Amino acid sequence: MPMRRLTSLFLLAATLALTVPAVAQVRAPDGAPNPTASSVNEEMLFKQDPKIHGRISIPNATAANLIQPQGREWREFRESWMPWIGALAVLGMIVALGLFYFTRGRIRLEHSEESGKKILRFNSFERFSHWMTATCFIVLSLSGLNYIFGKRLLMPLIGPEAFATLAQYGKYAHIYLAWPFMLGVLFMLVLWIKDNIPGKIDWIWLKQGGGLLGDAHPSAGRFNAGQKMVFWMVVGFGFAMGATGIMMIFPFAATDINGMQIMQVIHSLIGVVFIAGILAHIYIGSLGMEGAYDAMGSGEVDLAWAKVHHDLWVKEQQAKTASGPQLGRGQVPAE
Amino acid sequence: MKAFLIAVVAAVVLATGASFLLAENQRFAYQAFATSGARVSDPGTNLVGPRWTGDIKEPGKAGHKAEAGS
Repeated sequence: MPMRRLTSLFLLAATLALTVPAVAQVRAPDGAPNPTASSVNEEMLFKQDPKIHGRISIPNATAANLIQPQGREWREFRESWMPWIGALAVLGMIVALGLFYFTRGRIRLEHSEESGKKILRFNSFERFSHWMTATCFIVLSLSGLNYIFGKRLLMPLIGPEAFATLAQYGKYAHIYLAWPFMLGVLFMLVLWIKDNIPGKIDWIWLKQGGGLLGDAHPSAGRFNAGQKMVFWMVVGFGFAMGATGIMMIFPFAATDINGMQIMQVIHSLIGVVFIAGILAHIYIGSLGMEGAYDAMGSGEVDLAWAKVHHDLWVKEQQAKTASGPQLGRGQVPAE
Repeated sequence: MKAFLIAVVAAVVLATGASFLLAENQRFAYQAFATSGARVSDPGTNLVGPRWTGDIKEPGKAGHKAEAGS
């Protein structure tokens, strides 16, 4: 019996000796007991999968995501970087155009014996397509900038209730006017692609500064290199904004949460660059160059202006018969 | 000016059309993500009756209240 008791004591002592180090391992550095030290933590879960998600019983599969760490980087971009990038792009362009205006001044119409005669530059459907796209773009730009700057700049001025109403209607306008905008871009692509293929003449135009930096007026066809750049910017950015926008109008239809965040980043970055580019286009088409607005206003431009800025196009038009299809009712032939 | 005005009108008309088309394809979250687990059946045949009063008879014919458990 004493021998059996001795054996039992020995086994107990051996067991304790083996388990004490194990108990010591679950203690915190200060020696306090830490029962969760060996439990599953966030770091261990992220080694298994980039997201922490569970199982849910409702049909909304996206609700199963509990933590998506990339979302923090997206939020950081959206809340910290994006307002600065947007302000730099838009205000930077406004300052650059202001400097250009005050140094170069307005490009004046050069009068000649052909001044006063008109030549049709854009027909009714071309002007319709341009203005439909343009009016949609202005509303899309303002409502888009409201997503970035509204709560920072507008809400302190008009109060949260008025801002909430305005932002709601701005959101409707953004979602619904996107469709005529995309249609307008498609129309313009079909109408003008043949006149916007880059050529050798564009390189010469660019090397001479396009007549913007000096007094020279390099030769150009229907569209010069600068206008071709605007055209391809509108088509490229228009399609990119349309594609990323549709992905956001139909959330999770084609991509997951990471994809949705990437779409928003691309949409907002292209959006502010697009706005800056169109500001330059508006400037040169109105204030920056005398006579340029008429092309999209009435559709007819002064023949003297056309010969200075689009000499090759005028020659091409004049090579056609004077009663050619480019002349509308009551117009003076270009010849 | 005429082309501009027609363009603005066309943009508004197309946007309105888009709003109706998009609304057609949209459902409220309670509809899109509901399951059959919490569906209320035809109120005339369930336990609460058409007016949720416990009277399972038609409102016009409801002369007496149904006895619970009878």
